[in-house]
Amino acid sequence: MQLPPFEYHRPASLDEALATLDRIGNDAAVLGGGTDLLINLKLRLERPAALLSVRELPELAGVSVDAAGTLRIGAGERLTDLATHPLILARHPGLAQAIRAVGSQHVRNMATLGGNLCLPTRCWYTNQSENWRGSQIPCWKTEGQVCHVIKTAPNCRAIHSADSVPALITLDARVLLRSSRGERELRLADFYRDDGIENNALLPGELITAVLIPPGRARSVFVKAAARTGLDYGYATLAGALTGSNRAPKSLLLVAGSVGTVPLLLHKPAQIILAQGLTEASIEAAADAAREDLGEVTNLFTPPGYKKRLVRGLVRRVLNDLRRQKLPDAD
Amino acid sequence: MSRQLITLIVNGDRHQVPVAPHDTLLDVIRDQVGLTGTKRGCTSGACGVCTVQGEDGRAVLSCLALAIEWDERPVTTIEGVASEDELHPVQKAFLEYGAVQCGACTPGLIMTAKALLDQNPDPDEEAINEALAGALCRCTGHIKVKIAVREAIKVVAASTAAEGGQGG
Repeated sequence: MQLPPFEYHRPASLDEALATLDRIGNDAAVLGGGTDLLINLKLRLERPAALLSVRELPELAGVSVDAAGTLRIGAGERLTDLATHPLILARHPGLAQAIRAVGSQHVRNMATLGGNLCLPTRCWYTNQSENWRGSQIPCWKTEGQVCHVIKTAPNCRAIHSADSVPALITLDARVLLRSSRGERELRLADFYRDDGIENNALLPGELITAVLIPPGRARSVFVKAAARTGLDYGYATLAGALTGSNRAPKSLLLVAGSVGTVPLLLHKPAQIILAQGLTEASIEAAADAAREDLGEVTNLFTPPGYKKRLVRGLVRRVLNDLRRQKLPDAD
Repeated sequence: MSRQLITLIVNGDRHQVPVAPHDTLLDVIRDQVGLTGTKRGCTSGACGVCTVQGEDGRAVLSCLALAIEWDERPVTTIEGVASEDELHPVQKAFLEYGAVQCGACTPGLIMTAKALLDQNPDPDEEAINEALAGALCRCTGHIKVKIAVREAIKVVAASTAAEGGQGG
């Protein structure tokens, strides 16, 4: 597959980048590592007139901790560097596991965190070439009026499969968004929208500059179930982060990925654990309760019933891993 | 589409080439620099046959890299792996253990294995699997490839020890 022609801009500073975005507006796509964007261009799923490369923006680089203990990760950081970063490994092992689950090592050597956060949703139909798609009726994403994933859906129900995201949401991460109008901060949990096309809250002219993780010592785990361990979309993923002890947990967030159009918070299993503590019996009860949170599950790649049973198994596995994990070092 | 003159540094040699923004690093290496050892496979980052090493020695998918972003940045391709008169230990091991069937994936697998060894001279089984998961052999599988990679690790470790720990 060949790339279509486009203009190319490589600003040297964030201000220049934002000014360029304002000028070329909606016709621009932001190029991070390119490992997903360039595929989407080759598949003719996106047709931007210009690419804006953020590879030389110093404002998007770096991993640091501020005086208050907040961890700041620049959106332009490469996934390989983050998955092996001593600070991330020590403080947030679940995040390191999640980042390491993205693509292959080749992909992670190129891909950026900001790119993963903005990963477009995918399904079996849109993940094919334009020629192949021509043999089927077009979907919402390709200017048709049907969803191939959930036939009766009134909008695109493609899958959100960015592996870093569930892990970041369990850590209550925020995204810093910059435009020429200023800066705003959003909880990552509020960044995504339940629509496969308009999947996030980025406004025209806005860029993600950094991810912020608030201070706090939590145990954290991420597990991905996929056909193979490299380069595959998850059938389902699950991230968990726990504070407090096994007997008296203070907080627990469980977020499932690759099961819907947005990352899904599992309330019921967390309520059970918070009420009963982490025991063999409560873990079984929590796993059984997971299906109550799942609602409508797509048949993408696997039958919906399989996906529900899979999430039950992932809840059991993540909770058992959390139960055994030592509390990460103090900040 | 207007073209821009860039300098690609491939295996230490500087090549001035005119590129359009949508030219991939893969296409420029093959069609303009004229080094065709880097293969064109899936063109979507899944098969790894286009693997080259970037300036930091890491494996990079040249089918998903824009040539225009590689101005003045060194790239190593399969043609730059052997020295003047001797094959690289990974290449020797692939030959010795027959880690090849049709050969289409071989440059990508060798570049992947070399990048792994350059980053981590003593990778464990998990690290080998993690690296090789991004480069596919569709004839047979990775068994002989892994045997060859493990052998190359031993050879590199032995030569490093002989040089008093200054190698790699």
